[in-house]
Amino acid sequence: MSKPSDMVQGTLDMLLLKILALEPMNGFAVSQRLKQVSGDVLQMSDGSLYPALHKLEQEGWITAEWKTSINGRRAKYYSLTRLGRRQLEKETDNWGRLSSAISRVVKLKQA
Amino acid sequence: MRPEHWWYTIPLRLRSLFRRRQADRELDDELRDHVEQKTAEYVAKGMTPQEARRQALLELRGIEQTKEKCRDTRRVNWLQDLLQDLRYALRMLRKSPAFTTIAVVTLALGIGANTAIFSLVDCLVVRPLPVDHPHQLAYLISSWNGNGSKGISYPDYQEIRKQTVSVFSDLSVIRMFRTDGLSVDGKSRPISVAYATGNFFGQMGIKPALGRFILPSEGGAAGADPVLVLSYSYWKSQFAGDPNIIGKKALANGQPVTIVGVAPAGFHGLISLVDVQGYMPLGMAVSLKDEPADFLVTRDNTSLVVMARLRAGVNLQEAQSALNVVAQRLSEQYHGRITLSARRLSPAGLIVDPRILTFVSFIFLLLATSVLVLACMNIANLFLVRAARRQREMAMRAALGATRSRLIRQLLTESLLLATLGSVAGMILGLNASSAFSSIPLHTTLPIILDFHFDWRVFAYALAAAVLTGVLVGIVPALRTAHGDVSEILHEGERALSAGGYRMRNMLVAAQVGGSLMLLIVAGLFARSLEKVQRADLGFDANHVLNLSVDPHEAGYDESQAREFYRALLDRTRALPGVQSASLAAAVPMGYNDSNAALEIDGYRPPKGQERPVAGCNSVSSQYFETMRIPLLRGRDFSESDGQNSQRVAIVNQAFADRYWHGEDPIGQHFRNFGDLGHPIEVVGVVKDSYEDDIFTKDQPFFFASLTQNFDFRATLQVRTAAAPEAMERELTGLVRSLEPAMPVFDVQTMTTALDTLQGFLIFRFTAALAASLGILGLLLAVVGVYGVISYAANQRTHEIGIRLALGAQPAQVLKMIFRQGFVIVGVGVLGGVLAAAAVAKLIGNLLFGVPPLDPLTYIAASLLLAGIAMLACYIPARRAMRVDPMVALRYE
Repeated sequence: MSKPSDMVQGTLDMLLLKILALEPMNGFAVSQRLKQVSGDVLQMSDGSLYPALHKLEQEGWITAEWKTSINGRRAKYYSLTRLGRRQLEKETDNWGRLSSAISRVVKLKQA
Repeated sequence: MRPEHWWYTIPLRLRSLFRRRQADRELDDELRDHVEQKTAEYVAKGMTPQEARRQALLELRGIEQTKEKCRDTRRVNWLQDLLQDLRYALRMLRKSPAFTTIAVVTLALGIGANTAIFSLVDCLVVRPLPVDHPHQLAYLISSWNGNGSKGISYPDYQEIRKQTVSVFSDLSVIRMFRTDGLSVDGKSRPISVAYATGNFFGQMGIKPALGRFILPSEGGAAGADPVLVLSYSYWKSQFAGDPNIIGKKALANGQPVTIVGVAPAGFHGLISLVDVQGYMPLGMAVSLKDEPADFLVTRDNTSLVVMARLRAGVNLQEAQSALNVVAQRLSEQYHGRITLSARRLSPAGLIVDPRILTFVSFIFLLLATSVLVLACMNIANLFLVRAARRQREMAMRAALGATRSRLIRQLLTESLLLATLGSVAGMILGLNASSAFSSIPLHTTLPIILDFHFDWRVFAYALAAAVLTGVLVGIVPALRTAHGDVSEILHEGERALSAGGYRMRNMLVAAQVGGSLMLLIVAGLFARSLEKVQRADLGFDANHVLNLSVDPHEAGYDESQAREFYRALLDRTRALPGVQSASLAAAVPMGYNDSNAALEIDGYRPPKGQERPVAGCNSVSSQYFETMRIPLLRGRDFSESDGQNSQRVAIVNQAFADRYWHGEDPIGQHFRNFGDLGHPIEVVGVVKDSYEDDIFTKDQPFFFASLTQNFDFRATLQVRTAAAPEAMERELTGLVRSLEPAMPVFDVQTMTTALDTLQGFLIFRFTAALAASLGILGLLLAVVGVYGVISYAANQRTHEIGIRLALGAQPAQVLKMIFRQGFVIVGVGVLGGVLAAAAVAKLIGNLLFGVPPLDPLTYIAASLLLAGIAMLACYIPARRAMRVDPMVALRYE
């Protein structure tokens, strides 16, 4: 597994926030979902996932709650806070601007 | 960060801090859960359970590492590290109790000396007076024809007040205190009273603790408004804080007054050190003997202190230019050159020259700081020694991944903790020392208040000293330790300590020897100065003289009864066995006399533009010069024939005769007291100059008037005894009581004790005692420092010494080697100390009496003492090293 590039690293926060915006879930489910939606392109080691989640929690963007899952085990469920939602909007905006700017530059080069 | 943000994050931080265990457990659970789910997933894909679990763990890249990374996001690590460091530091200090005790005691001495001296300085020159906006207050000084600075007369005050409304919000007058008697309900006690205009208290912006102050309408007319305001401390100490005191009738200085109020706690008047205990309207000062009846009208009395409060936004320069205009107008009226100047009221209050106090404060703070620096050096040395021992430990920590900054932080935590412990102990010590200052007996009727207490300034000072100490002491060893080469240290052990370490410590010891020698020499100079002052030829002989003061006025006597009482007292006293002579005097030398008279002298015309001659004066009875052993050079003593109604006579001192009659025969010359021009005074005798008012001036013109002709109710009986004067105390007090049982008797003391006043020896005694305690502290610290380092160095070289001895070196040679090292260090230190002491001594030259700043005896004695003790401190470890058994030494480690 290669190390994600810097840009991707910076946007990991946004991806995690986006995933958690859909529904509260535990760390394992987040890693499954990330792999699933990005079609294995964005690979994130489990070893980076948990520190990233803890960081978001310490920032106050997500909050954790211990719940009993469907199969009867206690698991830590993360969900977005109001602050996290605002942060997600901000980062999505940034990302939109950044990616359109980049694609413009890339197209320019091809022309 | 927005507050909204804190809503989410603060509970998390608190949780990480205080519920760390739970947070860690949850982290455990979370990761274990993940691994289990992952394993289950892989098993479902067909892996064996073992393989699946291994894969899951691999993807987590080490479960402990991930945990650590998660913990790192918690952002309270620094605090946890600190707590950990503190715990660790406490454990280290507990584990080496000897080290801890020595360090804490040393620091406590250093910081204690500093806080004690700072609390003194705080009281004298730092703490602002307890009035409203003290920085707006100034006092006015006048100068006539460019000479002298004086107060201001009442008519001029009124004029200035009218013409400076634009710059001063108010002017008031305060006439400095004098000690009177106050009798309430038949019991009398001394009281120092200041006389003020009615607007004084309003100008100070203070509120009475009880009753009222003098009203603005009071105080302007002579003898009117007989009211008295007491100071808070006087009310508490003399009347036990009785609220019924308000409205009480009393006799102050023999006049009926009504007590109307009590000033607020902490307000002692406007002079630091002096406790003004009562306030009366200015007009009431007319009744005082030394104040002429017309003092509110005459322009000659320029003794009043005018207090001014600057208007908000007006600075001193602007006020001064307004004063210059007024001074110009006054000059035209008087046909003279008058200048008026406003001086800011310093925290020391109306002290003639606050710079002296500031200077003395600075000197003693400097000395105290030197003691603290010495203490710091001692501890830094201990730390260096310990750091050497702990290099292995530090290297181990570094090898295990501790960063350099983390190691430095840990060592600094230890030294700061030690400094904190030391400063807490030091503050307790300082508190006790400053209350010891407060209880120094002052042998005086002048109420002195030494209001030392720990306020926030003292606390801040001690805290700053502690932090500085902690950092200074810790930083060098910490840097050195954290710097060490890990592998080298792990291999070599303690002996890897570089030569630089020795050099550093040797330098520290030399500095210690130098610093404490400086303190010792300064202490020695002060002690010698005290000795000189006590042995000085004062012009009189204070030995074998007993003083006893009485005040017949307090006992309800009128003047003729008082005269009769004094006559009887003198006759009976002189008849006592063991009494060689006895006399009465209005004031005793170095007492709080301060009587000056402006004179007109026959045959003497003051040079143009100069003021009238002024001389100090005292009123004494016959035999005064015999009792005080002041040699009568010419003429005669006072006698029975100098009666109330006969020719006024005086005896002048040599300086008086020389100054005004230039070698002409002074006997039979006349002069007049300016307040009483109708009665020419004839000179009947000349005495040798003596110190009268204070220890700082001797050869000033002074005259003695006859007590019979210049009567004073309050007088001091002085008795020259054959035996020890103390032995006569009871007998004399008994004699007074037998003449009048109700007679108040005070200040029964020997003349030598009576010299311990502010004008007399007190300042010398005080500075000598202070300097001596600092010197002894410095010596103690130097001994501990030198002994510690030399013995440690000898210990360190045990191995080397063993080899030397095994190779055939003689013990004497070893002794010499170790001794030589100590000798060089001490020598360098002594040299530096002498130079430093010479620099400080130059500064304090003015505070010394009869001792040159470079007094060779002091320098040599102090150097020999210190060098001797330091060499002794070298000798003990050297001898121990000499006795080393080579086998033991070689097996060492």
